[in-house]
Amino acid sequence: MIEFRNVSFAYPEGEDGGLKNITLTIPDGQCVLLCGRSGCGKTTLTRLINGLIPQYFPGKLQGEVLLDGENLAHLPMYRIAERAGSVFQNPRTQFFNGQTDSEIAFGLENRAVPQGQLRPRVLETARDLGIEPLLGRSLFALSGGEKQKIAFASVYAMNPAVYLLDEPSSNLDMGAMEALRRHLLLVKAQGKTVIVAEHRLHYLMDVVDRVIYLDGGRIAGDYTPEELCALPAQKRREMGLRAVDLGQETPSPFHPPQAAPALEMKNVALSYRNRPVLQDVSLRAAPGEVIALVGQNGAGKTTFSRAMCGLHREDAGEYRWNGRRQKPKQRMKRAGMVMQDVNYQLFAESVAEECVFGVKHPDLALAEKTLAQLGLSSLRDRHPGALSGGQKQRLAAAAAIVGGKELLVFDEPTSGLDYDSMARLAAQIRRLAEAGRVIFIVTHDYEFICRTCSRALHLDGGKLRNDLPVTAENLSEIRAILGVR
Amino acid sequence: MKVLFFDPRTKLALMLLCVFCAMAAPNLWFQMALVGLIAVFALLCGRGRYALRGAAAYGLICLFTVWCMGALQGVWRAVFIAFLGLVHKVYACGLLAGVIIGTTKVNEFLSAMEKLRCPKKLTIPVAVMLRYLPTVREDWRFIRDAMRLRDVSPTLLGFLKAPVMTVNCIYVPLLTAAARAADELSIAAVTRGIERPGRRSCLVEIRMRGADWGAVGVFAGFLVFTMLAKGAG
Repeated sequence: MIEFRNVSFAYPEGEDGGLKNITLTIPDGQCVLLCGRSGCGKTTLTRLINGLIPQYFPGKLQGEVLLDGENLAHLPMYRIAERAGSVFQNPRTQFFNGQTDSEIAFGLENRAVPQGQLRPRVLETARDLGIEPLLGRSLFALSGGEKQKIAFASVYAMNPAVYLLDEPSSNLDMGAMEALRRHLLLVKAQGKTVIVAEHRLHYLMDVVDRVIYLDGGRIAGDYTPEELCALPAQKRREMGLRAVDLGQETPSPFHPPQAAPALEMKNVALSYRNRPVLQDVSLRAAPGEVIALVGQNGAGKTTFSRAMCGLHREDAGEYRWNGRRQKPKQRMKRAGMVMQDVNYQLFAESVAEECVFGVKHPDLALAEKTLAQLGLSSLRDRHPGALSGGQKQRLAAAAAIVGGKELLVFDEPTSGLDYDSMARLAAQIRRLAEAGRVIFIVTHDYEFICRTCSRALHLDGGKLRNDLPVTAENLSEIRAILGVR
Repeated sequence: MKVLFFDPRTKLALMLLCVFCAMAAPNLWFQMALVGLIAVFALLCGRGRYALRGAAAYGLICLFTVWCMGALQGVWRAVFIAFLGLVHKVYACGLLAGVIIGTTKVNEFLSAMEKLRCPKKLTIPVAVMLRYLPTVREDWRFIRDAMRLRDVSPTLLGFLKAPVMTVNCIYVPLLTAAARAADELSIAAVTRGIERPGRRSCLVEIRMRGADWGAVGVFAGFLVFTMLAKGAG
């Protein structure tokens, strides 16, 4: 049993995410979803259970957190680790070994489980979770979804009584999310306590027993999943929550000004490290279109978008813009990208400088206008590193626009965004399109596609398999492609 | 060819021996022999391509050095010879460090250090660093893309044209990424009990085998030979 007795916590320097007067009891074997806006304190709550607070993140802590009656603040981290296992958001940085087997065994090794028992436990774990094909592989060569499976397996191998997951689906496609759901059901059936902090709710609605809604560091709601689903959709949106049932989502109408196609791809073939990735891709796209790029991991979405931006050379075929042939160098001038991890593309000391960074003769009026349009004017003197995830994304987009980019690619822009940020991003992307840009969005996020995109391209088996307008008639097909249940 | 497994303690010993050999080497022939030895070691560790590239690159550097000695005169000669002298001193060590970092698994490293009775306060940060290094390459790829899209050239020429800007573009995101990765990796490690005092176990058996003693013997022998040659010269 986990008990919070009147717990308050504040990070130093007044960062978001503190907690106020939390009193909460989670009985053994319960499966709990923690939800709420970014900064509502759900991650903080998980950190209090795995001991990262106060032992790794210092701050002002009042009240006590008990695990089976023991005050967690008095237990060393390695003792807590034996009872509570944690899975985090970023698959890239939560594995410690280069190889899958070693990674699964890592927690057991630390606990000094005798060598003879390690291999059998690794094999048993892989069998239980259905990940035998991943054994003996280099973790660096796995996809994000596969890495996340190994992270879960390494916790599962330690057989903790409590599983803590902090936004585990942020970087996952539907298939990987489905696997995660199955794994959660498995440990739930074993009688484990499961606590998931998450923005994407739909895949958890038939898994969890209880939904705790946090707002501004307080518990503002304690529901059964049925009760949460029964709330009016509008009410959930006001609470900052994302969809609970993707089946209810329908495309929101979008009528950008009609324009002649500017971009044309003719029989383009792309390869990656001498292996063909895509063959014979032809399409046209007009300014104002917002085009979703969907397909499984490894289908070539990244190569497609890098080539679109001139960062990757085509093997055959051609790109044209308003009828003129575009070499990679020219595409690079015309296209901009907002990366999944936007931290890689912020270089300057302030928001205002970032906007004009690298531009030879920047149009300062345009920079001001763009900052205002994307809601960044009030932040102009802040350091880009101090912004929230959503704000960084918008800043990267602003920099691309000031740099005169007519085509924008967004790579997985909604990972880790709450409803508010997602809705704002959707509206802003549509506004950018209406102002005459061609926009591509690499995404697995069905709710976001419905809200933002006018068209969906499906890459599969080395081909452009489908090219569908996002309309009510095509919905069932789009759902099937994305694996929406 | 069968890849040999070396104990991390062996690798540490080789690194030390290599530093001494590089320092003691009386002439180019000894440096070349040392690089050759390391290339063979890399080959045995299953890093054939790395071994070949490393040795070939060193060969080119040697040729260039010989050319400098013959063709250049005056200030340029002094500058190049001084610079190349430094390159020769560190090249072998860098090459070996590359093999070691590339082939040492974090859990093996931790267990081996424990056998050497190294305190965890020392080994855990080194383990985090070992684990972090491969992510730098991934980070660099993203940063390079971001720079090119901002019209900043991530090449040597770009650096020469706009040094401050280029350096800014590399180190700002790289530092941000490094700070975050180190933090997240540490969290992943402590929530899995890395700090537990006392012995840990290891999936792979860590002990000194014949190959380990052989490798240490060969490098130690080479060091003795180098010292003798230096003494004689």
